[in-house]
Amino acid sequence: MSDKVSVSLHINGKDHALTVAPERTLLDVLREDLRATGTRRGCDEGSCGACTVLVDGVPVLSCLSLPARLAGRAITTIEGVEAGGELHPVQRALVQHGAVQCGFCMSGIVLAAKALLEHTPSPTEDEVRQALGSNVCRCSGYVRVVQAIVSLGGRP
Amino acid sequence: MRYAEPGSVEEGLALLSTTEDARCLAGGASLVAMMNAGRVAPGMLVSLHHIPELSTITEAADGLWLGAMCTHRTVAAEARLRGAMEVVRSAASQLAHPAIRNMATVGGSLCLADPQTELPVALVASSARAEVAGSAGRRTLPVEALLVDSFRTSLARGELLTRVFIPRGVDGAAGHHLRFSRVSSDYPTVSISLVLAMDGDRCRHARVVVGSCGPVPLHVDAADQRLVGTRLEAADVAEAGRLLAQAAAPLDDVRGSAEYRRMLIPRLLGRALSQARERTHV
Repeated sequence: MSDKVSVSLHINGKDHALTVAPERTLLDVLREDLRATGTRRGCDEGSCGACTVLVDGVPVLSCLSLPARLAGRAITTIEGVEAGGELHPVQRALVQHGAVQCGFCMSGIVLAAKALLEHTPSPTEDEVRQALGSNVCRCSGYVRVVQAIVSLGGRP
Repeated sequence: MRYAEPGSVEEGLALLSTTEDARCLAGGASLVAMMNAGRVAPGMLVSLHHIPELSTITEAADGLWLGAMCTHRTVAAEARLRGAMEVVRSAASQLAHPAIRNMATVGGSLCLADPQTELPVALVASSARAEVAGSAGRRTLPVEALLVDSFRTSLARGELLTRVFIPRGVDGAAGHHLRFSRVSSDYPTVSISLVLAMDGDRCRHARVVVGSCGPVPLHVDAADQRLVGTRLEAADVAEAGRLLAQAAAPLDDVRGSAEYRRMLIPRLLGRALSQARERTHV
């Protein structure tokens, strides 16, 4: 028990030893301590999905996650999605479909879509819409986003 | 702010009873949001993530125990929640949105006692009981007795919700949850959880609970009784709906006026009964 917590976070395949105040969120630590600003700060209350990251492959909201309880879990942020300088297929599909718009919500959407495709490789349009229920786009351009993700499953 | 990770319920109770302004950290979906907004600043966070028994699901002859730290995602995927118990699975699979369901827990949802959210509504519909641990040992009480007001439970200082029991319920019954909201990830304007059993075309058992229409889930015995023995015809549904609407104390807010919510109750009740009835034939 202390007013600072020492924790080792496993982020995008690398370990980061940190000492943080218990009330600081994973979002704070990613953006302010690790300078990984691809994870966006939106509502800070779990409503918008801009700060979505994957924890053990499952989408969670980094604005509501405390680092102290994430020791040893595999955390993936948008910085860990592309590999070898190549965009992830989800990112490529979003670009090809002209779906990225202002881009603010895209980090969260890419991670939510990546998690969906990993357990449902050919999602229906409805399954994509359900999975993206956590993510708000203020440009409100969901149609091309959904089309892009569905296209990766080879379904019309 | 201090932070502790007890490894057992007993250790957790000791921390809670010796610290004036300690708060339990479950999924964090509501507590961390409130901390971010500066609405609460606990002196100590007692994380419940390292207490294995709180994440356990145990099957008993007469029902299923769900650990307080089970997430809504886990509950939504629990295939043993069928028949009458399915009302809990149905609500857990629909409430909020996927990322929240991945984080938020049964115990967190129940102890927050937010009148707008739906798991408490489904737990009341299923006649669930809550197990509470305290310095004097453990006790169980009906979920209705735990939920005393908007954002207020009957838990005493130093007590901890450990698990909830979902009884198997009436033979041949179907449990179902229906929510009405502007978009699927928002809080519902009105929600209905119910358990229904039929004998042929007559209702043998009904337990209907309404959410977002008062400080606690709304259950009216007379409305259930108005349905039992009937063929669930339009007049029966309208009269049961009228009894519920009359007892409701909804708020006027951005999701709907109180009057609109009262109008919705009988309409949603008809839809929920007809969907549940279909399931009783499966």
